[in-house]
Amino acid sequence: MGEMSWLYMYMPIAGVHILWPGLVLIGFSVGVIGGFFGMGGAWMVTPGLNILGFPMAFAIGTDIAHIAGKSMISTMRHSKFGNVDYKLGITMLVGTMVGIEIGAQLVMMLERIGLVGSVVRWVYVVFLALIAWMVFYDFYKATQKRKKGDVGEHGATGIEWYKTLHKWKIPPMMHFHASGFTCSAWVPIIVSTATGILAGFLGIGGGLLRMPALIYLVGCPTHIAVGTDLFEVMISGLYGAFTYTLKGRIELVAVFVMLTGAAIGAQIGTVATKYAKGYGIRVAFGLAVLCCMVSIILKQYGFSAAAAVVILSAISLICLWIMKIMFVGAAQELRDKKAGLSQA
Amino acid sequence: MKRIVALAMALALGMLLAAAAHAAEVVQGKCLGFDQAAKTIVVEEYDINFSSDFKYGHPTGIQSTFNVTEAKIGIQPEPGDILRIAYNVQGTDKKALKVMNVTKQDLRKK
Amino acid sequence: MRKFLSIPTLTAAILALLPSWALAAGPKAADLVVVADTRVLESGVMKYFANLYNENILLFAVWAVVLTAVMGSVLGVLMDVIMKSTGLDLTKRKILEH
Repeated sequence: MGEMSWLYMYMPIAGVHILWPGLVLIGFSVGVIGGFFGMGGAWMVTPGLNILGFPMAFAIGTDIAHIAGKSMISTMRHSKFGNVDYKLGITMLVGTMVGIEIGAQLVMMLERIGLVGSVVRWVYVVFLALIAWMVFYDFYKATQKRKKGDVGEHGATGIEWYKTLHKWKIPPMMHFHASGFTCSAWVPIIVSTATGILAGFLGIGGGLLRMPALIYLVGCPTHIAVGTDLFEVMISGLYGAFTYTLKGRIELVAVFVMLTGAAIGAQIGTVATKYAKGYGIRVAFGLAVLCCMVSIILKQYGFSAAAAVVILSAISLICLWIMKIMFVGAAQELRDKKAGLSQA
Repeated sequence: MKRIVALAMALALGMLLAAAAHAAEVVQGKCLGFDQAAKTIVVEEYDINFSSDFKYGHPTGIQSTFNVTEAKIGIQPEPGDILRIAYNVQGTDKKALKVMNVTKQDLRKK
Repeated sequence: MRKFLSIPTLTAAILALLPSWALAAGPKAADLVVVADTRVLESGVMKYFANLYNENILLFAVWAVVLTAVMGSVLGVLMDVIMKSTGLDLTKRKILEH
């Protein structure tokens, strides 16, 4: 390590030396991107931590704990916007917690047989591919629809599987006032258990999957899905943090370093949603997911340094774009405000 | 919200005071023997002067015996493995809490 | 139909695969125990938590959750104050369906 040793921070439990600017960058970016898209953004944290040198199980546990803290910040913000459907959130809670425990047990089982690193990495590759596909397919469909001038009640939405699921009449039926639809309670419960398992297994808040699931399978409007998902992540993330700590797979120091970066980033990301227009940023998001996927494959084949470069630059770029949206939009708003005041 | 936070902090503070009484010791060194009948492990202690040639520290020649009756043991220790043991001293007895097999579960490779 | 690609289906597929991976790996399964090396830590706080990790993992878990929640809330409130001072209107916004 030599003269560069000040760039490395000792993690007292896992016993590894970690590049701390990498930790700060990951925390900050995950805040910006998570605040903006309503997805925890943790799809980059577990692989990122693993690429920086954390053993896989520690990467998962540390990620899930930092997500819990970060989502507290974002949930506060979103509940101010009135974007949380609490009834839906509470309906989903039990499913999420059971799911997280199942996921965590699977990770520990894989660790015992020495396969946790490669299995989790390959599962990540599959899911990032799936998410990238969803983003791009959605973009493609919306573009097609817009060309035809067909704009439905949800605006130019893409996939609408929820229309089929809302036809299920299995009791108990529930009406979700804030989201404005009625469906069988089993739809959100099944969705939350499935996303919970993945959240616990991959060490994510689950926003990555729950958000699209809320929009495409449950049928929430996008802004309600963002807020409700964050509420879900907060409660379930705290449970995830607890169960992973009990299993001894957490690095608190890293949690706090990332949390501080994320707190600042989350403000920028959440405020930027106010000024964002169009699909361009979603395409960039899809590309960032693909870059993350590539870096995981690089790590799997032993190219750790290349993997770190790919993932850190991809998240920095998308982060810079969102920051640009936020600062340009905010400057415009403040200018308008001043102009309005001088006229009055 | 504020009330919940305050309650949680009071609870945590209470437990902090309850648990601050004493600290367990940690030792790292080479396993010399694991007697499964007597539930003891003998270790030659290493110091904490790590270097690239001595990444687990240098041998000190001190031999210690640990009672592992109640310990959580990971991968089965065998003579020659580097172990890290957390233990409490009770009278003359060194009671192990956890035994980590450093050699066989090199976390850095996961 | 692309429904076969849905998230629950994929989850089920992965869960079905896991036991076969477990069997393939054979009998070397053993819990991995981690002992935090408190000998190399100097700071009192670090030493306290690392020791707690070794000695009383349940208390450590409670601490982890409480500290994470407290830190999240404190940072949230702090950031709220800072954002308010910027003068941006954060109470209402245009509904932007992407």
